[in-house]
Amino acid sequence: MDHFELFGLPRRVDVDVKALEQRFRELSMELHPDRLVGADARDRRIAAERTASLNEGVKILRDPVRRAFYLLKLKGVDVESEQAAAKLQMPMEFLEEIMERREALERVKAAKDLDEAHRMAAEIRSARDAALATARAALETDDVPAAAQALGRVRYYVRFLEEVDAFEEELMS
Amino acid sequence: MKGYLQIHDPLKPKGQVVGIDLGTTNSLVAAVVNGKPVCVPVDVDGALLLPSVVHYHQNGGVIVGRPAVEQLANHPTDVIKSVKRFMGKSLGDVETKKLGAYRFVPGTNGVVRFQVSGGQPVTPIEVSGEILRHLKRRAEGYFAAKVEQAVITVPAYFDDAQRQATKDAGRLAGIEVLRLLNEPTAAALAYGLDKGAQGLYAVYDLGGGTFDISILELVDGVFQVKAVGGDSALGGDDFDRAIVEKVLAARGITDPTPGQIAGLLQAARAAKERLTDADATTVDFEGHSFPVSRADFDAWIDPLLKKTGLAVKRALKDAGVTPADVKGVVLVGGSTRVPAVRRYVAELFGQEALHDIDPDQVVALGAAVQADLLTNEARKDEVLLLDVIPLSLGLETMGGIAEKIIPRNSPIPTAQAQIFTTFQDGQTGMDIHVVQGERELVKDCRSLANFRLSGIPPMAAGMGRVQVTFKVDADGILSVSAKELSTGVEQQITVKPTHGLTDEEIEQMLLDSIDHAEEDIRNRLLIEQQVEARRLLIDAAKQLEENGDLLAGDERRALEMSLSTLETLMKTTKDHEALKAAIHETDSLARPFVEKIMNRAIAKAAVGRRMEEFEGHATGRLP
Repeated sequence: MDHFELFGLPRRVDVDVKALEQRFRELSMELHPDRLVGADARDRRIAAERTASLNEGVKILRDPVRRAFYLLKLKGVDVESEQAAAKLQMPMEFLEEIMERREALERVKAAKDLDEAHRMAAEIRSARDAALATARAALETDDVPAAAQALGRVRYYVRFLEEVDAFEEELMS
Repeated sequence: MKGYLQIHDPLKPKGQVVGIDLGTTNSLVAAVVNGKPVCVPVDVDGALLLPSVVHYHQNGGVIVGRPAVEQLANHPTDVIKSVKRFMGKSLGDVETKKLGAYRFVPGTNGVVRFQVSGGQPVTPIEVSGEILRHLKRRAEGYFAAKVEQAVITVPAYFDDAQRQATKDAGRLAGIEVLRLLNEPTAAALAYGLDKGAQGLYAVYDLGGGTFDISILELVDGVFQVKAVGGDSALGGDDFDRAIVEKVLAARGITDPTPGQIAGLLQAARAAKERLTDADATTVDFEGHSFPVSRADFDAWIDPLLKKTGLAVKRALKDAGVTPADVKGVVLVGGSTRVPAVRRYVAELFGQEALHDIDPDQVVALGAAVQADLLTNEARKDEVLLLDVIPLSLGLETMGGIAEKIIPRNSPIPTAQAQIFTTFQDGQTGMDIHVVQGERELVKDCRSLANFRLSGIPPMAAGMGRVQVTFKVDADGILSVSAKELSTGVEQQITVKPTHGLTDEEIEQMLLDSIDHAEEDIRNRLLIEQQVEARRLLIDAAKQLEENGDLLAGDERRALEMSLSTLETLMKTTKDHEALKAAIHETDSLARPFVEKIMNRAIAKAAVGRRMEEFEGHATGRLP
């Protein structure tokens, strides 16, 4: 059963997040191991596994980026795995641009310049949103190669943003 | 007899379930009575707060609570306080040495042990076990019922080792831990249910030794923890210490004795408490009097407050919310009585915090609510807690890098798998090093466990693929399995923290505690029999009233006589064997009566219950 089926949702890029959360709460109420304190170990283990799938499912479907990656994976391309990502053959100029930005980020990190890092993150965020919009449109029309290309870009942008977050955290602690 | 007469729901646990707040400074027990959580008197004079202080006397006796506190100045190395700070820690941890009054001895696996008078060195788990045992005994006396199941609270920020240590302490005390509940979640539960609240809440919990911040959302009876954060080594004790350092510096003492530290800490604590209401006070030490104004004190603790502020900001960020989204802030922990703390929290969130429930009691009350929710069939649908893991869990990869498998603030239970490939030609084994923490390098994270997956068939580098699966249960405790994908060779371990105790050690401790606690055991056995007798009396009275017509006059008189003898004995004897014998005698006498009641019930059994249930009860549970 895939995550969409688990929550009784159509397999689409757009998800009614409110309805999803509502369904998540209802299912958790039913399936959580806390409902089974008196039951035997096997039933409790199954409940824990089901709840784990609920938690995983809601995490992916709630977030538009993760949801798009997941939908593409259901269509046969797992952009998040290293091997598949290598096969995508991202355009050279895109890879060069990303490399330049990463080098710039390294310099900003060395200088401990959080404001500059935030400014760069804002740029990357809008680039990510644009690529995501392209990917979503491609997924809607079932254009898998185009969606894979766009999500390939999203993947690089997400990595970049994670790096900014990690940098911010190092500064805070 | 009791099995039938009692007619209880098979799912309903025997005895009283309780919630326990095993605190750094104080510990409490609470239970839901008539639908409301209440704290139970656990210390001398019926106090609700039991100081988490244990005195190991030279004659081998163990004293817990305020009487132990009184021995602190005279026996600084035999009186263990704030033991929670040592839970799951090793001698190598910096924190361990900060409060230097104790004599430490290394134990196996690097476990901290305290050298105390009157016996073997004790581990923090055993010391906590003594506190729990005391709480359990007091609660049993109060309820005149066995207390065998409890929800025990832990700081949300506790790592795997600290959680495991807490569970082990419960086991040592003979308590089945229904759930380890995060303290802030417990506090929110106490508030949320009372008020039927909906929305986003923050819980700011500053206890004696730990700081926790939780961001929770309550919708339709589901409590969803969005993010937790904090510092498991920051609390009100540090406020005391800040004062102590100033006094020591003023006196020019660079190498204080354990006695001096202990005495001064007590004086500092008292001064801190006075400053909650007073603008100025003095710390009296060795005949000298040091003036401390509230402004001084506020300045000294300011860096500590700022540390809590950072954790709050990080938790808000993790939850993806801003202070303006927060509908209410709950204060927990005695240290939130400090005016500077309240002011600081109000500034952080732009609103005054809630504090209508006693901040010392709120965690225990919430734990009692959770214990009730977990075991009370009628309340099961009211509320559900969805908690998260506080710290990221990961694996060591090439170059000493920690690769996160489950990021912090992931909802639990959870399971995540990741595939790793071999990196050498012909590699037949893979070392799996499990770590916990947020830092990038393994050396900055907490090491949880090491194991080796062997039996990988020799292949070219990169061809062998190993799937490592992390599972975290609803208590936040991790198990890890690794599987070689081409052959299916699988290995599984439940992570026993590097600085924890092995199952064998726990068993041995249980045996040891039986050895030198014969009196405890006798008491416990007596209480158990008293509980049995009481149940029998209550059940019999009820059945006599409802089904008394089944007995002939002399049968009834004989049974009543036996019941009255039993009641007298229950109230007077200290001999559990004698009481047990009397229970047995009354029970045998009642057996024909029980059979008659049973026949009558079976005759009426068209309604609802199946026959084997009656038989199961009647035969399976006779003593």
